Amino acid sequence: MSGDMILFFILASLSVIFSLLVIFPRNVVHSAMALAATLFFVAVLFLTLDAPMLAILQVLVYAGAIMILFLFVIMLLNPAALEGRRIAWWTLGSLAAVALLLELVSLFFYRPSPSGQPPVAAAFGGPETLAQSLFTDFALPFEIASVLLLVAIIGAVALAKREG
Amino acid sequence: MTDHVLTYMTFFPLAGMVVVLLLPRERHDLVRWASALFTLPPLLLAVWLYRNFDPVNPGLQFVEKAAWIPAYNINYFVAVDGISISMVLLTALLTFLCIFASWGIDKGVKGYFALFLLLDTGMMGVFVALDFFLFYIFWEVMLLPMYFLIGIWGGPRREYAAIKFFLYTLFGSVLMLLAILALYFSSEPHTFDMTQLIAQSSRYGTTPLHFWPFDHLRWGFQHVVWMALFIGFAIKIPAFPFHTWLPDAHVEAPTAISVILAGILLKMGAYGILRINYPMLPEATADLAYYFLGALGTWNIIYGALCAMAQKDFKKLVAYSSVSHMGYVMLGMASFTPQGISGAVLQMFNHGTITGMLFLLVGVIYDRAHHRDIDGFGGLAAVMPVYTGVSVLAFFASMGLPGLSGFISEVLVLLGAWQKYPLLSALGASGVILTAGYLLWTIQRVYLGATNEKYKAMPEINGRELFTLVPLGIIVIILGVYPNALLDLLRASLDQLNQLVIPHLS
Amino acid sequence: METNLAPLLPSAEVVLTALSVLLLDLFIRKDEKGLLVWISLIGLALAGGMALFLWGSHEGAFQDSILLDDFALFFTELFLGAAAITILSSVHYVRETNIHEGEFYALVLLSTFGMILMAAANDLILFFLGLETMSIGVYILTGMWRERSQASEAAMKYFLIGAFATGFLLYGIALIYGAAGSTHLGRIASALGQTKSHGSIILSAGVFLLFVGLAFKVAAVPFHFWVPDVYDGAPTPVSAFMAVAVKAAAFAGWARIFLYQLSPLQSEWTLPLKALAILTMTVGNLLAISQSSVKRMLAYSSIAHAGYLLIALVAGGESGGQALLFYLLSYAAMTFGAFGVLIALKEGENDHEAYSDFAGLGFKRPFLGMAMSLFMLSLAGFPPLAGFTGKFYLFRSAVVAGHIDLAIIGALNSLLSVVYYLRVIVMMYMEEGGAEGKPFARAPYLYLAIAIAVLGTVYLGVLPAPALDLSRISFISLH
Repeated sequence: MSGDMILFFILASLSVIFSLLVIFPRNVVHSAMALAATLFFVAVLFLTLDAPMLAILQVLVYAGAIMILFLFVIMLLNPAALEGRRIAWWTLGSLAAVALLLELVSLFFYRPSPSGQPPVAAAFGGPETLAQSLFTDFALPFEIASVLLLVAIIGAVALAKREG
Repeated sequence: MTDHVLTYMTFFPLAGMVVVLLLPRERHDLVRWASALFTLPPLLLAVWLYRNFDPVNPGLQFVEKAAWIPAYNINYFVAVDGISISMVLLTALLTFLCIFASWGIDKGVKGYFALFLLLDTGMMGVFVALDFFLFYIFWEVMLLPMYFLIGIWGGPRREYAAIKFFLYTLFGSVLMLLAILALYFSSEPHTFDMTQLIAQSSRYGTTPLHFWPFDHLRWGFQHVVWMALFIGFAIKIPAFPFHTWLPDAHVEAPTAISVILAGILLKMGAYGILRINYPMLPEATADLAYYFLGALGTWNIIYGALCAMAQKDFKKLVAYSSVSHMGYVMLGMASFTPQGISGAVLQMFNHGTITGMLFLLVGVIYDRAHHRDIDGFGGLAAVMPVYTGVSVLAFFASMGLPGLSGFISEVLVLLGAWQKYPLLSALGASGVILTAGYLLWTIQRVYLGATNEKYKAMPEINGRELFTLVPLGIIVIILGVYPNALLDLLRASLDQLNQLVIPHLS
Repeated sequence: METNLAPLLPSAEVVLTALSVLLLDLFIRKDEKGLLVWISLIGLALAGGMALFLWGSHEGAFQDSILLDDFALFFTELFLGAAAITILSSVHYVRETNIHEGEFYALVLLSTFGMILMAAANDLILFFLGLETMSIGVYILTGMWRERSQASEAAMKYFLIGAFATGFLLYGIALIYGAAGSTHLGRIASALGQTKSHGSIILSAGVFLLFVGLAFKVAAVPFHFWVPDVYDGAPTPVSAFMAVAVKAAAFAGWARIFLYQLSPLQSEWTLPLKALAILTMTVGNLLAISQSSVKRMLAYSSIAHAGYLLIALVAGGESGGQALLFYLLSYAAMTFGAFGVLIALKEGENDHEAYSDFAGLGFKRPFLGMAMSLFMLSLAGFPPLAGFTGKFYLFRSAVVAGHIDLAIIGALNSLLSVVYYLRVIVMMYMEEGGAEGKPFARAPYLYLAIAIAVLGTVYLGVLPAPALDLSRISFISLH
């Protein structure tokens, strides 16, 4: 068993443990923290797969921005209100889990052959290549995204501004 | 000027509408005179047209053609021939007279006359258009002002009558539009030009189509299109069972609008069948005319007359008499004989003048008594002798008394039909007796007998009212004595039309 | 690297105008805000002039991810015109409702920018960004009348459902990228040509999701349920803007993506699209009949019209594309007009949107009555108005493509629609009571907008030839 494999199993089991910790605690804030940890371990997994950019984005976007949003929402809403409907959530959740499991199992047995695909370049997924394409091929969408953000800012101001 | 005579006749009223809309709202008399002024040129041009029309030429005359939407081969194409000339004359005459019959309108005068002038353009356009697309546009343009004129200036149940009229006609229009598209796509190159569609009539297939549960009819494409067009036109005629909008619309419409409705709009149905169904779909015409024109027409004659007999409302009686009289037109058309078809077209013209008179006459007493109950009058002859005189002339003409125009056309129709369908002709002739029955009975109840106390002081018919009636009366007498004044113009075109269908008769 | 910026000229001008409006808004007093209207209109006119100047060019920029062809320019002009009419008809409305004028006009302009991108984009990412810029702008416009709770509710609803639709769209784009290896429409098309079998399930799923996302945006049944509440709650000029411009932008994208680039897949989506068209027309018309508010009726009628427009997409080809573009023009004129008259009825707190508020309008305000009659008749499809000519070419294109059943169902549907359009006219001329309507002196800009709509409705109906040629040339330029 190579060092890579050992690392993988450690990271994988850690992320499984932490994702279980998302489900079981009664305190919602604890769940959220466990989710952040899970996402972080997945990011490290990406690193081991030679996808540093994806790993950084995973930390920035998921473990960073999205988790903050989660915590905001948890603080704004009263988490106790969710307690009464536990069974419904559990049922729904397990159904989704079973569906996912079935998909995974079927993928195991019916693996699309990777032979048709060309191998990816070494630098693929690295920050340089990403920046390269972002500022050449996708310069226009990049600029337009700034207009999109401008619209959202104006909207936020227009909708939240106090009268007078 | 004479190059574009039909365009002028069609669009003069539209120009009048613009002028009327620009006039100040309070100047009622100004609006009325302006409307009269703009309907006079079409009438004068109609007289010119009558004198310059070449009766020997069966083809189109006074043709005007200009590209309109070239990408789809849509043209501004107008002309007249023997099929339409009489209708063009009738339209010009009746609209001019009806402006004067509308003098008494005092609510929303400007709007009324503006819509009336728009209606005039639409009607004239339908009779002169020879491009199918143009025809359809005029057909619809005419529908709207009519709807408003009934719906705003009508009687107590005007909204109901207007909507009923509108929906019936619109249903027919949609069928017609689909038929137009079907013909357009069957022609090669695709065209809306009626003359070209007629020239390609052999393209419209007659191979039986299979559409359960009608397989046994062995109808082809041509028959289906024929039927779609026929229903569209039959609603306008109105043929049984599509006639039920007519009594409502007539009862609620103001007098002048009833005249236009009976005098011109009803003719469009029959005109459309002659102009479109006959030449474009001759084989289907040959197959279906007996049932849908001949037999249905005869049923119209008898059914209309029986209904008329049962009416208490004067206007409804005249309305049902229209249903009956339009039956003669259908019967005559179905005979494919020179007498029958020219009798039918002559009957269209005569019905326009005679029924126009009848509605105007009902309007005269309605304006004075504010009701139309036949039994509510009595002995008017003693109070209003001049009015009674004119009325009796119109009634006799409607009855088909020899010497008056109605007689000629009905006899021609029955003679023509006799050669083909003796039974239908005999049944149709019995309609004449029913007609005489209800009309004489009405004369007796309204004009004869003891004078109703309430109407002892009813004022005599006035100059304006006489002005609208006398020209029609004169025409009724002239055509009764000398029908060739009009028949000569029709004959060549109608014979040619007959020749298109006759080879396909089995 | 030489970069061709010409395709961006009109849209850049629009963004520039929006920024000027926003900045200037900070420095002027409340009674001077009329200036903002003029700046917006001048900016739109300049952009329109540029688009006109560029007419006939055929070039791309940024690896052809954005194209400058007559199709894009046609829609650019349409959106600019729609924005101008929206601004004209909201001048009085925003003052009455205390909506912040600077932000309002700026957002209209920025949404317009998004629409222009949608029509010009030749890359799914760019298309998506344009769509989002437009959508977010319109969500905010919907909720800008903050004193009215329905507006906030409508904005929230619109935002949530919009986000949902965006999800579909984005997922679809991701799947297509997975199957074709590019988001560039041209490369997707060539990938389609090369390997038909490989990844066809993923591709089909992607196309299907894209299809659903766009169906949300054009408000096709069964993705229409947000429309009545949103149109009803939004400020009326914004409802008109949504009904016309947002819909047109979605159709522009639909035409470029499905009618042109993905046309090899036509056989796969013809049947669902046909079902969608039939459902949309029929359900829209049936539900419109039972409304008691004219604004809601117009919302349902916009659904029905989306159904008619879908006919053109089913028909496809040159005649379908031409009919689509021409009908969008006609639809813009008559819909803006109808909403304009509705705006003219508003008095202070009372919106006057019920049928009964139209009673007697024909005699109280003859111009408004006549204009509304024209718009209603045109929407119902009466000759010689724009709506008739437009429907005529739509149904014709269906027949050309062999979908006679669609043409017949469409014709029957327009017959059905007469019932509710006519009710407005009956109210205006045959009943009494009802709202007064603003006189000309109190709303000159609005009257100007309505007059333009009247001219458009009549002109496109009586002399359709130039506009038809324009539509044909624009559509052909796709290829």
